Amino acid sequence: MMRPHHVRPAVWPWLLLALLVALILLPLVQTIVLAFTATLDHQGVAAGSVGLTNFRNILATPALMASVGNSLIYVLLNVAFCLIAGLPAAYAFARYRFVGDRHLLLLMLAFRVTPPVVLSLPIFILFAQVGLVNSPVGIALVHCLFNLPIAIWILESFIAAVPREYDETAFIDGHSRSSYFFRYLIPAIAPGIGVTAFFCFIFSWVEVVFARILTVTAGKPITMAINALFSFRTDIGLVMAMTVLSLLPGVLMIWLVRNHIARGFTIRV
Amino acid sequence: MKLRDNRAWYLLLPALAIMGFVGLVPLISVLNFSFHDIFSIDAIHWVGVAWYAEILTGPAFWASLARSLLFSALALGVQVPLGIAVALLLLRTGRGGVLVLPLFALPLVVPWNMIPIMWLSLINPDTGLMGQALAATGIVFDYKFTALHTWILLVAMDTWHWLGLVVILSFAALSAIPQPYYQAAAIDGAGRWAVFRQIELPRIAGALSIVLLLRFVDSLMIYTEAFAINAGGPDGATTFLSLDLGEDIKGFSYGIAAARSMLAFLIVITVVWVFTTLTAARSKTPGPAE
Repeated sequence: MMRPHHVRPAVWPWLLLALLVALILLPLVQTIVLAFTATLDHQGVAAGSVGLTNFRNILATPALMASVGNSLIYVLLNVAFCLIAGLPAAYAFARYRFVGDRHLLLLMLAFRVTPPVVLSLPIFILFAQVGLVNSPVGIALVHCLFNLPIAIWILESFIAAVPREYDETAFIDGHSRSSYFFRYLIPAIAPGIGVTAFFCFIFSWVEVVFARILTVTAGKPITMAINALFSFRTDIGLVMAMTVLSLLPGVLMIWLVRNHIARGFTIRV
Repeated sequence: MKLRDNRAWYLLLPALAIMGFVGLVPLISVLNFSFHDIFSIDAIHWVGVAWYAEILTGPAFWASLARSLLFSALALGVQVPLGIAVALLLLRTGRGGVLVLPLFALPLVVPWNMIPIMWLSLINPDTGLMGQALAATGIVFDYKFTALHTWILLVAMDTWHWLGLVVILSFAALSAIPQPYYQAAAIDGAGRWAVFRQIELPRIAGALSIVLLLRFVDSLMIYTEAFAINAGGPDGATTFLSLDLGEDIKGFSYGIAAARSMLAFLIVITVVWVFTTLTAARSKTPGPAE
C-alpha cells in the first residue's frame, strides 16, 4: 500500500481524511441523534428527552415490524434470482464468442440504466394481469431489471480471471459440466459471488419506485412503511428510528464484504 | 482466446427469460401506449405521433432536458475528480485508508426515499446540526424559494450519496497498479502530476468509464431524491426530465407519459451506444501504460 515516492509520513492527509469522514458521517449522525430523541410527547415521555422511546414504539407497531420482513423476503429472492440466472450467463460471456454477444451486452446495459419510472406503468399493468402485484416475487423479479445486468457484469469479470486451463483440467479429470460448475468454478469465484450478492442486495434494498407501485394493499416494504409515517403531525423521531433500522442490513453487508469490496474487484470493461 | 460456439445461447436462457418479461415486454407496451390517447382501458384511440409532436415542439421539454444535463454536468464535475482525489488520499494513508474505505460505502445503503428526509433534517434551522450552524453564522439557507440554494442542496446530497461508488471503484483500480510502474517513474524523475497523468489515469480509465456511464445516466434521470426536496421548484427551477414524466403518470395522462418514457429511453440508449463505441475504440488502441 505504501508508495515508494512517499517517504516522510505527513499529517495533512490524515487531517483531510478525518474531515471527509466527518462530512460523510454528518447526515448519519443527525439521523441517529433524532432516532434516540422523542420528538413528540408520548405517554410518560416528554418531547426532547433522549432514550429508546422511538424504538419501543417500532416494536409496538406490527405494521412497522412486518415491513422489515417484507423487504428482506423480496431482497433475498432477488439476490437468488440474480445469481441463478446470472452465473450461467456470465460463464457464457466469459468463455464463448457467439452470434449477437456484443449486442446482447449493449441491451443488458441499456436496461440497467433505464430509469424505473419509465417502465413503472406497463410493469404494473402486466404484473396485475398475472397476479404479481402485492407479491414479493413480483418485486424480486422486477428488480432483476437493473440487478441482473450488474450481476452478469461482475461475475463475468471474476470468471474471466480464472484461467481456461482450469476448465479443461477438470473436464479431463472426467467431471461433467454441472459437477465442474458446482465443485470447481463456484468455489474459485466465491469472492465474486459475495461482491455480486452485496451489490444486488443493496440496490434492491434501496429502490423505491417499483417497490411502491407493486405493493398496493399488502406486503409494504420498509421504505413505504416509513413514507406512511408522514402526516400533519409527523413523529420525525420515529421516522429516523425506522431509518436507522433500514440501514442495519446494509451495514452488515458492508462488514461482510469489506475485504473484497475493493480488493479482488478488478474491473474489466 | 474465447471459443466460438453459438450453443452458449442456452446458458443465457434464464437471464433472457427474466429480462424479456420485466424489460422487453413492458418496453414494447410503452411504445404502443405512446401512439395512443388513453382515457381508460376501454377507451383507447390511435393518435399517431401527436404526443411526440406536442412534447418536442413545446419549450418545457427542452428546458427540462437542459436542466437535467446541467445537473449531470455538475454531479459528474464534482463527484468524479473528488472521488479520484479521495481514492488517492486513501492509498496515501496506507492501512488506515483501507479501514476507512467501507465508511464511504455507507450512503450507498440508505433507501433512496430516506436520503432527502435525512438532508432536510440536517439543514433544518431549528433542529438540524448543519441548519443550526448556518443560522449561527447568519447565513440564510432557503432551499424552498431560492433556486440557487435548491441546486446546491441537490448537488451536495447527490455527491454525498454517490461519492462512495467513485471512490471504491477508483481505489480498486489504483491499488491494482503494480509497484514497478512507480519505481520506473521515480527513476525517470517524474513529478506527481506526471505520475497521475501517465500511469494512474490510464490504468483506472476502464473503471472510470463505467462510473462515468452509471453516474451520467442516473443523475440525468434523478427522480426520487429531487422530487422529495422541492417537487421541481422553486417555480420549476429544478424540474428535471423524470419529474415531468412522474407528473404525467400521477395525472393519469398515460399517452403522453408513454411518449416521454420512450424519449427518455432513446436518450439513455444513445448514451449507452456512444459509451460502448468509445470503450471499444479505446480497447483497440493500446494505451501508453499497456
